Amino acid sequence: MTGFLLRRLLILLATLFAASLVVFAVLQILPGDPAAIMLGTGARPDTVAALRHQLGLDAPMPLRYLRWVGGMLVGQFGTSYTYSVPVRDLVAERVMVSLPLAVMAICLSTAIAIPVGVLAAARRGHAADTAAMGVAQIGVALPNFWLGLLLILAFAIRLPWLPAGGFPGWGGGPWHGLRALILPALALGLPQGAILARVTRAAVIETLGEDFMRTARAKGLTRRAALWRHAVPNALVPVVTLIGLQFSFLLAGTVIIENVFTLPGLGRLVFQAIAQRDLIVVQDLVVLLAGSVIVVNFLVDLVAAWIDPRQRHVSA
Amino acid sequence: MLDVGSLTVALPMGGRLVPVLSGVSLALARGESVGLVGESGSGKSMTALAIMGLLPPGARVAGRIMFDGADLLAADEAQMCALRGRRIAMVFQEPMTALNPLQTIGAQVAEPLRVHERMSRRSAAARAGELLARVGLAPPRATPDLYPHQLSGGQRQRVVIAMALACGPDLLIADEPTTALDVTVQAQVLDLIAGLAADSGMALLLITHDLGVVSQTVDRMLVMYAGRVVEQGPTAEVFAHMAHPYTRALLAASPNEAGGLPAPISGQVPDPAHRPLGCAFAPRCARAERDCTRAPPSLVGGGAHRVACLHPHVAP
Repeated sequence: MTGFLLRRLLILLATLFAASLVVFAVLQILPGDPAAIMLGTGARPDTVAALRHQLGLDAPMPLRYLRWVGGMLVGQFGTSYTYSVPVRDLVAERVMVSLPLAVMAICLSTAIAIPVGVLAAARRGHAADTAAMGVAQIGVALPNFWLGLLLILAFAIRLPWLPAGGFPGWGGGPWHGLRALILPALALGLPQGAILARVTRAAVIETLGEDFMRTARAKGLTRRAALWRHAVPNALVPVVTLIGLQFSFLLAGTVIIENVFTLPGLGRLVFQAIAQRDLIVVQDLVVLLAGSVIVVNFLVDLVAAWIDPRQRHVSA
Repeated sequence: MLDVGSLTVALPMGGRLVPVLSGVSLALARGESVGLVGESGSGKSMTALAIMGLLPPGARVAGRIMFDGADLLAADEAQMCALRGRRIAMVFQEPMTALNPLQTIGAQVAEPLRVHERMSRRSAAARAGELLARVGLAPPRATPDLYPHQLSGGQRQRVVIAMALACGPDLLIADEPTTALDVTVQAQVLDLIAGLAADSGMALLLITHDLGVVSQTVDRMLVMYAGRVVEQGPTAEVFAHMAHPYTRALLAASPNEAGGLPAPISGQVPDPAHRPLGCAFAPRCARAERDCTRAPPSLVGGGAHRVACLHPHVAP
């Protein structure tokens, strides 16, 4: 187990290093000088040069890379060019929106998808299966921004139960903040749940054909007991893997939904930072998100090893 | 105890019902051991699954299956679940896949006890340990907390046997229990099954394609071809006066101790959807004559030894 963790840690560091190199290189190639953008089109060249010097943009490229990486290693993420606040504070504020939103969406997706997928598999070919998979097909096809707009129309305007957008912060109590995240979590979670339900169904159908399912029935287990005790656990590994992937996506790949609901989340931060050539913010965020993806994958592997003893013994 | 009469089973294939068993009759007395012999596709396993009530969905069954006075074809699913694993148990061909990879062997052996005898987790685990020891999986060689992938094929088959024995069944159906195993292990597992059956007084229905296996293990034998019983009788008598050309061909095809090379039977078992009108073996039979193609011959013979052949090697 120690060797397993150590190997994982090395992979984490190597990936972060690679990600930092790639994002730094790409942003160097990208046209657009941050200093010029900050000062606007009417700026005088010597003002721009002065700002470039102040931001450290005139230093040689390797030096700038080392300064940036070195800063991150000691927790200095730098200062945003456009907001003039430490990137750390900027990110922390956005994580407090994006992380709860992602957690809510993934819980919703999982809570719907697993029972629906399992029951559709158990009733394969029957009306319940056809109906569930029909709905799932619609869920997969629906663009989430459109679903978001429908939800706003229904639950914020027609039935004024929930806010249509914006985020009041966590200062007013947890319910106050959660209320603002319910509709976006639905808009994000339902389409993801539709995909997950289809994968769950396929995985369960595959395990239902396994020999050990016949053994379970020959032991005298009812169809239902064999399904939940033997088929479902064996179908969970691909499902958990997909949940991990979906969570990584939900953490920062949700710009559109954040825009629909005007939420100050990580996705919008990335988007704005790129648009405004706020290089330091982009660089930091990419590395942080790469790190979070790797951590989530690591957790997925741990869960998979917990479910499946074969993976445990391979990794040990 | 078990009385199967004129059992006919048809399975849906390609949109129509295709007969896989045609009028199979067999009886087992308490404590008796009977062998069911034939190539794959002869209907041996279908006979076993019909007795277990585990035929594929859509199967059409006619005839009679009586077990201890109860009509299994009329029994509902709950009654069959109460019977399976408790009074009728089954050992399968593929030990590599017959066990759930996610559960310890102890838990899997304990499961029938938990289901049928409502044993506590602790006492079921203790009993599972005893059962595993009885099939030769005692510590230090193997402990109940091992997982299937940590065991060899022979060991896994012992686990399946322990599982089948858990509730002390009256009838054990062993479907090719040694086919997937190494030759050296085959004899051990076969001796184990025969020994356990003799010790506990349970009846044994041994399904195999190997006549050698039958000759050492069972009191009586039935030879099946293309869904029909073609020869049956006490094992010693059948071996002494083999009457059906197919039985002889099977013997020639099985590995023998004299060291002679096995002679495979030329041709294939006919596809159930395209069985010949007359004797199904006629197209592969050296003794076939014109009359063989008219109608399938029925079992004839005065005593216990009966054969379904118009031109048998010896008249029984």
